[in-house]
Amino acid sequence: MPLSRSDHIDEDLEDLYENAPCGYLSLRPDGRIVKANQTFCRWTGYASDEMIGKRLHDFLNIASRIFYETHFAPLLRMQGFFNEVALDLIKKDGEPFPVLVNAVERTDAEGKPQFIRLTVFNATDRRRYERELLKARDELKTLAGTLERRVAEETAERLRSDTALTSQREEAKLREQFIAVLGHDLRNPLASIIAGTRLIQKAKLDEKGEAIILMMQKSVMRMASLIDNVLDFARGRLGGGLTLVLSLQPLEPTLQQVVGELQSAHPESIIKTDFALTKSVHADPVRIGQLFSNLLGNALTYGVAGEPVTVVAKTQDHFELAVCNVGNPITPATMERLFSPFSRGEVRPSNQGLGLGLYIASEIAKAHGGTIDVTSTPELTCFTLRMPLQR
Amino acid sequence: MSTVVRNNVHTVGAGPTAMVFAHGFGCDQNMWRHVSPVFEDRFRVVLFDHVGAGGSDLKAYDPQKYSTLAGYADDVVEIGTELGLRDAVFVGHSVSAMIGLLASLTAPGMFKSLVMVGPSPRYIDDEGYVGGFKEQQITELLDFLADNYMGWSSAMAPVIMGNSDRPELGAELTNSFCRTDPDIAKEFARVTFNSDNRSDLAKVRIPTLILQCSEDVIAPLAVGEYMHSQIPNSELVILKATGHCPNLSAPEEVISAIRAFV
Repeated sequence: MPLSRSDHIDEDLEDLYENAPCGYLSLRPDGRIVKANQTFCRWTGYASDEMIGKRLHDFLNIASRIFYETHFAPLLRMQGFFNEVALDLIKKDGEPFPVLVNAVERTDAEGKPQFIRLTVFNATDRRRYERELLKARDELKTLAGTLERRVAEETAERLRSDTALTSQREEAKLREQFIAVLGHDLRNPLASIIAGTRLIQKAKLDEKGEAIILMMQKSVMRMASLIDNVLDFARGRLGGGLTLVLSLQPLEPTLQQVVGELQSAHPESIIKTDFALTKSVHADPVRIGQLFSNLLGNALTYGVAGEPVTVVAKTQDHFELAVCNVGNPITPATMERLFSPFSRGEVRPSNQGLGLGLYIASEIAKAHGGTIDVTSTPELTCFTLRMPLQR
Repeated sequence: MSTVVRNNVHTVGAGPTAMVFAHGFGCDQNMWRHVSPVFEDRFRVVLFDHVGAGGSDLKAYDPQKYSTLAGYADDVVEIGTELGLRDAVFVGHSVSAMIGLLASLTAPGMFKSLVMVGPSPRYIDDEGYVGGFKEQQITELLDFLADNYMGWSSAMAPVIMGNSDRPELGAELTNSFCRTDPDIAKEFARVTFNSDNRSDLAKVRIPTLILQCSEDVIAPLAVGEYMHSQIPNSELVILKATGHCPNLSAPEEVISAIRAFV
């Protein structure tokens, strides 16, 4: 509804001054109070006549006093007013009373200051709010600092581990190359020797010559298997572990070939085989051959002369390959570290080798998801590979 | 960097002798607007802002350098060197009275006399010395500055828009004078109100005028008298003006006292 003249409220200007919703102060140019309204008196607890003649300073805390003198008094003199200045009054009871103050300076025609008018607003809640904001800002600053530090640390850590990983990868690559070159360089002269012995075999040899050639071939074969073991060991221990080339090729030809090779190297030994491989096995035939060669080689070395070494291979739920020989049982002490590298049986210390054979065999079994179990009694010592048909 | 830019230096007038005006804590060279123009006819008037205040280059603020009044005094000497000042008059208000004193000791011959308006060599009371403040009160002041930051920063922060001459500002602009970077101001307050230059007073040999206000909460009468007793060649004038800024509240009184001295 629009206001009309008849709605005019009879506003009492005297009352408006005294009881306005803000404090009014009038100061002389030197800062002495000449008038203060009731609202200001109520807020501060002073009677009006207690204030007249006093300086505004007398009602400010020290900090506000300095601040007023160094900042706001000059400002007022220079621009004739100031707005929203935060000050702390001290109430009669000694309690602080935060206020916001606006001021206007009245000057005469010559620009000389006549008096200063101040309006004072209760800023208790606002100041509290500002303090909370400040506190929040400081907390945020701290938090941001912490966060920044964490991110920096994390980044540095990442960089460090990335660098480490890169150098590890490079090292592994170098090692792999080294192993490959070493293997090639070691095997080549052996191949020459074996080829040489075969050429010599074709010529007519006397019995002694024949025996020497056989011995040489046996040594070469052992040397070849030692090189394989050493290289595999180096790869497994230092490099990326054994790698398999899996296929479903029948394993029997591989096994037969190993038996053939070792039989010719040990012509005096008897090797009995029982192969029943009716299912295909997902495996690396070269590695299985290597494993088998190690097991069979051991059995021939440690087995009692004249007693046969038996080999049983079958595929039922698992692929199972057992190599058994008659001989002194493996002592518990030897059993404990049988599959550790550089461990050898103590039955016949004269047997030379690096003690890597069983370690490599067990690594190959592991790579196929299988195990090698050992049973050793005075009657029979058996090494049995068991691995799943499918990888 | 040129001190002219860094300290927003303005020179007016072409008298044979230079008169350097330095503002105190809380304001800038505007502080002298009712005083310095009067001297332009006979003096080369030099006005500047301390780094952090008014139109100074805030980027030049180096917390290390300005952690003592000596850092500010070095600026004064650099300004004097760049302007080729010899035998100039230094007029310093409040803390700048001490800054000018230090500068005069650093660069003998640059200033032939000192005018100190409301000076104090130490604000905090000490054994046998009345500075006017308890240590606790100065701590409260510094807290208050932090506390007041909010209302203060928006109203008092400088306009960071180059150092062009400030136009006469219309009434619609609020609190446009005496702009100060709040963070720097707080540090300046710490340096100012914790300073103690009492031992430097006796080293001053050049004529020194001390203008002491009546009823100054920042530099009480006892401090003015102490200054006078310590500086050998000094003159103490007690102004009728009250408060801490007679250069604004009673410029005529300040002008005539300086005139009589120079």
